[in-house]
Amino acid sequence: MTTTRTKLPPSKHRYATVIHRLEAGGAMLPDTPENLMQIIGLYKAYAVPMDFYWRDLLYIAERVFLDPLPFFKYFLPGEYLERPNHYAGDTADLRIWRGGATAHPELRAFIERGESGKMPRLLHHLWHDRINMEFAEACMRAMLWHRGMGGRFDPYLDTDEYRANADRAIRAYFQGNPAMLALHRLFPEMFIEQVRQLSYYSNLGLFWEVMAPVFFEMSDLYDEGKLTSVPEAMNFLVNGIFAVAGRPIYHHAHIRGEIFEIVPKSKGFTWLYEAALPYVEAVFYRTAPFRGTKSYNAQAKQVPEDQQDFHFGILYADVFPVGTAGIPPTLLMQDMIHFLPPYLVDYYSKHCRGEQDTLIQLGIGFQRSMYCVTSAVIQALRSALFYPLDDPNPRHLEANRRFFELQIDRFNRPEARLLDIQRQDYR
Amino acid sequence: MLSVLVWLPIVAAVLVGFWPGLAAERARQTCLVVATALFGWSLWLVARFDPAQGGLQFAESIAWAAELGLYYRLGVDGVSLPLVVLNALLTWIALYSSPSGVKRPRLYFALMLLVNAGLTGGFVAQNLILFVLFYELGLIPLYLLIAIWGDSERRNYAAMKFLVYTAVSGVCILGAFLGIALAAGTSAALDYNASLTTALPLQAQLILLSLLLVGFGIKIPLFPLHTWLPDAYTEASPPVAILLGGVLAKLGTYGLLRFGLGLFPETWHLVAPGLASLGALTAAMGALAALAQKDIKRMVAYSSIGHMGYVLLAMAAATHLSLLGAVLQMVSHGLILAVLFHLVGVIESKVGTRDLDVLNGLMNPVRGLPLVSILLLVAGMASAGIPGLVGFIAEFLILQGSFPVFPVQTLLCVVCSGLTAVYFVILLSRTCFGRLDNATAYYPAVGWSERTPALILTVLILVFGLRPGWLTIWSEKTTGEMAASVNTPGPVARVASKIPQVRSIPLNPLSTLP
Repeated sequence: MTTTRTKLPPSKHRYATVIHRLEAGGAMLPDTPENLMQIIGLYKAYAVPMDFYWRDLLYIAERVFLDPLPFFKYFLPGEYLERPNHYAGDTADLRIWRGGATAHPELRAFIERGESGKMPRLLHHLWHDRINMEFAEACMRAMLWHRGMGGRFDPYLDTDEYRANADRAIRAYFQGNPAMLALHRLFPEMFIEQVRQLSYYSNLGLFWEVMAPVFFEMSDLYDEGKLTSVPEAMNFLVNGIFAVAGRPIYHHAHIRGEIFEIVPKSKGFTWLYEAALPYVEAVFYRTAPFRGTKSYNAQAKQVPEDQQDFHFGILYADVFPVGTAGIPPTLLMQDMIHFLPPYLVDYYSKHCRGEQDTLIQLGIGFQRSMYCVTSAVIQALRSALFYPLDDPNPRHLEANRRFFELQIDRFNRPEARLLDIQRQDYR
Repeated sequence: MLSVLVWLPIVAAVLVGFWPGLAAERARQTCLVVATALFGWSLWLVARFDPAQGGLQFAESIAWAAELGLYYRLGVDGVSLPLVVLNALLTWIALYSSPSGVKRPRLYFALMLLVNAGLTGGFVAQNLILFVLFYELGLIPLYLLIAIWGDSERRNYAAMKFLVYTAVSGVCILGAFLGIALAAGTSAALDYNASLTTALPLQAQLILLSLLLVGFGIKIPLFPLHTWLPDAYTEASPPVAILLGGVLAKLGTYGLLRFGLGLFPETWHLVAPGLASLGALTAAMGALAALAQKDIKRMVAYSSIGHMGYVLLAMAAATHLSLLGAVLQMVSHGLILAVLFHLVGVIESKVGTRDLDVLNGLMNPVRGLPLVSILLLVAGMASAGIPGLVGFIAEFLILQGSFPVFPVQTLLCVVCSGLTAVYFVILLSRTCFGRLDNATAYYPAVGWSERTPALILTVLILVFGLRPGWLTIWSEKTTGEMAASVNTPGPVARVASKIPQVRSIPLNPLSTLP
């Protein structure tokens, strides 16, 4: 008996083109060589500071811990620069990037010299000629602040078991410090909440530890001519997501040579459900209305009442905030501009105002690349929860479509940039 | 010496217009060199000018058509000197900010020089008929500049309206001057001289002065003769608008001061209360109309009407302080309006619109026009009379000088000054502040050649705002004598004499200014 494969009728969704593209195994971002070049170039420019972010996030979560005056939390010690990445180098658990496991050479060179030349690290820090770790912290805070975005990690932070673990670590950290211990007794929630935040430091650090080598490898493959289309890039991400989906997410604090398992590995929290998906939800979609990018009037309902309706992430952002210091997207753009591959520098110099507005051009390119990452997440979820794209059963295809449409519905908001990134002249 | 200022641009205009095979860029460069020379020459005049002397200086006189009373008689005093320099400066600015790619470049640049010659001639002519000749000389080139190089389809309408109004203005002035000649019954030179009208009966003086008021009132323009202005200013390309608003309007106020107040000092006080009210009304109308505009160039155009109202009030009051303020306001308004028109032009050329509802966030440092926005902010503040900028000094002198004579009208002008701040805040907050939308903001960067004219003018606005003495020193003596001539015998003087502070105010506070 032969089955006739019925193709689904065209979608009537506002973004039908995008949905058809997703159904054909593509990304939300159109497949053009220019798009590919932009997203890969920015993955590389993003991966270098990200190599710093994950190391420093873990350093703060594990070592700085509850330091009441953490002046030097961005001064990454050599031990953490040397800390081997679990997904790169010869010692890798799973070698995603063929490069080295320690801090990226371009990152080391930048820490050494910055923009302003060689000088003591303290001067670089005060001159703000450094990696903007504040961006990573803003992402972490978005995850902590929104909370409850799926996975078992977040509910765990409210359990008695977690509180007991945290309490033990707090007492150990402040051992011999009666003032802080008295504070802890007076306000028992205060340090626990701080430790929750530190657990998210760890969560995000472990998440990015994976992403940095993924992006490095994609950049290398592109340079070698082995990554030739946007769907290929997206599929590399999808495969990467599945390959590391089970990576444990934990939080260990190192206090006086002793390791305190605040979120033990044994809890079985995993990279995909406990870090990647909450991260995408918090940072790509929701985040918070950053002060300075635009004046939001909460009384005029410009800020949604429900946190889950927040829509200030990179997929919606008006990438124009450059110029006001301290705004997370600005900080990231400023970090990425130091590590652009030459072909992107050349590309930006030929458009708009060239060097003068490279920051914005790369910000919009970054938006494109994050639409590609989000596409990978959507395809991965579809693959995990629904059916293959070439499934012969029309009902399955219908279910896939409903899933895609539901995902794309989130871009029906006027602020969404999905329509913009379909155009090549959106820069 | 003054002839150079008049004839050099005419000769250059002829050469630029008719020299065979002259390339567009070369024509522009030639005109710029000529404009630089004119500005240099006018500065040299300033250097040689004796501010302690109130009368005419650098006088030149040749009999031209004596039987008609037409003598080629030139001269400058403290009132016309600043305007001559302003004209030379703004001509340079207008030429510099004209693109060499302008269509029919040789005609364009030649006409710009002719306008300059006409305006300079108007400011330095000391013979009434000669003044009318120069007054008319500027008319046709400006008509063509609006009609050919205007901004939109409405340019022909605007140019024709300008032509008709200004022609009527010219006819009125010529009629008044011929009336003076006839009534005086003299075949002598129709030179600028108050004694020309002393023999006339009051009624005749009133009629002639009214004719002059209408004539110059159109040029300034005064409410309700102003309707040509918003169209002409808006449709003219920015460099032409700079000349129109920056200098041409001053020919109206200058003419009224020189020939209205100067020739009819006895009659002046009779019309002064009406004039002061008209001035206040003009200021109010300009400010209110500007508030209602959606087009930033039109807004600036209406603001110009409002500011001219202050000048009229000051001239009506005719105290030493107010007249000095009037001259200062002419210069300050010329500078401010020029920079505003230039910046509006830059914004329009980069953003492609002048619509207040579309413009937003130009202060954005990366994709906006940050320096242009900052300069627009300074110019708006200067126009609104914020202390430290030249607009404040001018308005302060006018308001302080006029208050003892016409308190109600002055207070109305104070309110209008507040309204100026309101519409400039609207203009600036909509245009410069807010959020630049990255869906539309792909504006080209502003080059230094586009910034330079605005920077020069802004520096002057700041410098004269901080050191107003550098500007007032040239006119103090002349305006003092003018005020004295008006106030000596008439009722105005009697009114003024009851208010001792009017006499005590003049210039003592000014001389202590930095």
